[in-house]
Amino acid sequence: MINLTGINKYFFVNTPNEIKALDNINLQVNPGDFITIIGSNGAGKSTLLKAVAGVIPVDSGCIEIDGQDVTNLPEHRRAGDIGRIDQDPMASTAAELTIEENLAIACLRGQRRALARAVTRPRLERFRQALRDTGLGLEDRLRVPVGTLSGGQRQALALVMATMTRPRLLLLDEHTAALDPKAASLVMDITERIVNRHQLTTLMITHNMEQALRFGNRLIMMHRGRIILDIGSDEKNRLTVAELIAKFASCSGTVFDNDRALLA
Amino acid sequence: MDSVIINSLQQGLIFAFMALGVLLTFRLLGFPDLTVEGTFPLGAAVTARAVVEGVDPLLAVLLGALAGGAAGAATGLMHTRLKVNNILAGILTASAIYTVMLRTMGRPNTPLLAYENVYGQVLGWFGLGETHLSVIFTLLVLTLAVRVVLGWFLNTDLGLAVRATGSNERMIRALGVNTDNTKLLTLIIANFLVGLSGALACQAQGFADVGMGIGVLVAAIASAILGETIFGGNRVGRLLTGAILGSIVYRGLLALGLRLGLPAEDFKLMTALLVLLVLTLPNMEIGNRMAKGLPKKARLFCRQAIFSPGAAGKTAGARNHGREVDN
Repeated sequence: MINLTGINKYFFVNTPNEIKALDNINLQVNPGDFITIIGSNGAGKSTLLKAVAGVIPVDSGCIEIDGQDVTNLPEHRRAGDIGRIDQDPMASTAAELTIEENLAIACLRGQRRALARAVTRPRLERFRQALRDTGLGLEDRLRVPVGTLSGGQRQALALVMATMTRPRLLLLDEHTAALDPKAASLVMDITERIVNRHQLTTLMITHNMEQALRFGNRLIMMHRGRIILDIGSDEKNRLTVAELIAKFASCSGTVFDNDRALLA
Repeated sequence: MDSVIINSLQQGLIFAFMALGVLLTFRLLGFPDLTVEGTFPLGAAVTARAVVEGVDPLLAVLLGALAGGAAGAATGLMHTRLKVNNILAGILTASAIYTVMLRTMGRPNTPLLAYENVYGQVLGWFGLGETHLSVIFTLLVLTLAVRVVLGWFLNTDLGLAVRATGSNERMIRALGVNTDNTKLLTLIIANFLVGLSGALACQAQGFADVGMGIGVLVAAIASAILGETIFGGNRVGRLLTGAILGSIVYRGLLALGLRLGLPAEDFKLMTALLVLLVLTLPNMEIGNRMAKGLPKKARLFCRQAIFSPGAAGKTAGARNHGREVDN
């Protein structure tokens, strides 16, 4: 279980541009939850995920993963518990290294790395198995540098890398946003399959309202650093995109203004 | 002609250790480490002092290499713990080393011809005399050993973490690696090799001099580029072997130039121009047309070369990104 209590985060403190990016965030994520997160521009969605991952320190509040307080741990010391994928397909894989080398790095998530050979026969078998699940045929191209793969293939590989060690928490920050529609829906399918199979606790930011309603068992909506709406699976299944946008307007008092959501 | 080949083989093998070190930092770690310009003569100075003090030559060479590793650690600690810019950290160390060398030797240079050198010592164990060929053979064995060890290391879990630090620092941190440590480790290994190179050089030429490091970095970069262009590929093993062969080819070209009557004082300028040309050709119109004549590998290297300013900017950019977030 992941517990966020009273998280506050300011940017540009003591300047005219001071922003309260996270405003007293309280969130309890139950084991196996697949939460989709939506919100307007600058709502603090990415900041929230980065704070949980430890990429940025929070100003106050407490982050607990399964009872352990990780608020002050640096990113690399939380990594064993948290798998994370960014929007940018370049960000979550190493282009110069081959697929098998990327996977070898990922399979030691959060563990000590020593002087044992990285790509071994038992590991290769594991990599092939994990890649076969994606259905992209990458298991036959293990020695190809990742830089030669397409954006969709790289994000699918990133998914495999992020979930191979079954982290306690998977953070997806619009991981399909930079892909073309076909690749995006493919990567979303793979995401759902992997998350369901391993019952991974997941937080997924998306700008796509329809995606937000279709995937996961819980939906939260953010606005100006606050969580303004938190709905469970029953209500979520009944909602339509139009109703969701109307709900946003009534909760926030403004019109939903995510430019990417409008374009999507 | 024989002397050209023998000379360039010997020189090329000695400088191959340095080319390997520079390959590790510049190419694989993406860290433009300028320490090496000081590490090379430091390795020589420490070895020279040790030999004069009566230390066993082999141990003296090891001390020189260790001094190099310490210099790398200084740069690494400055960069990772004190957050000094990577290039500046290297320059600071290299500058400080100048004093260390003068203090170590007590004067700007030390002649060593009166003392037994490491080649004679090692060959003596096998009852061999110190000839050009036997010295080259000794160097060759040591180079191959280092090549094998590096090739093994870069394919271990830790070695992959080092390479991933150079390829995608954000990713490897998200996978639980403290990139400060991988950088520090790589800088120590690389500068150990450069110190070893300096130590072996002073043993071969019979003296150590505080000025012997001037321009060696550009030469090492040129060697690594030559190696990757001619023998390279993306595989790490190829890169390592390429750096060694590139170093030999580079020294061969220099020796050939000397033989053809080119004045030795022009070499550093020509090397710098050569490196500049290789790096910038693909960016220029004429270059594009000329580059079509180059083999595909050469063009690829030019475009993706980590040695280019653009690639150096990439790492700086990533760091700035991190800092923005820290605010």
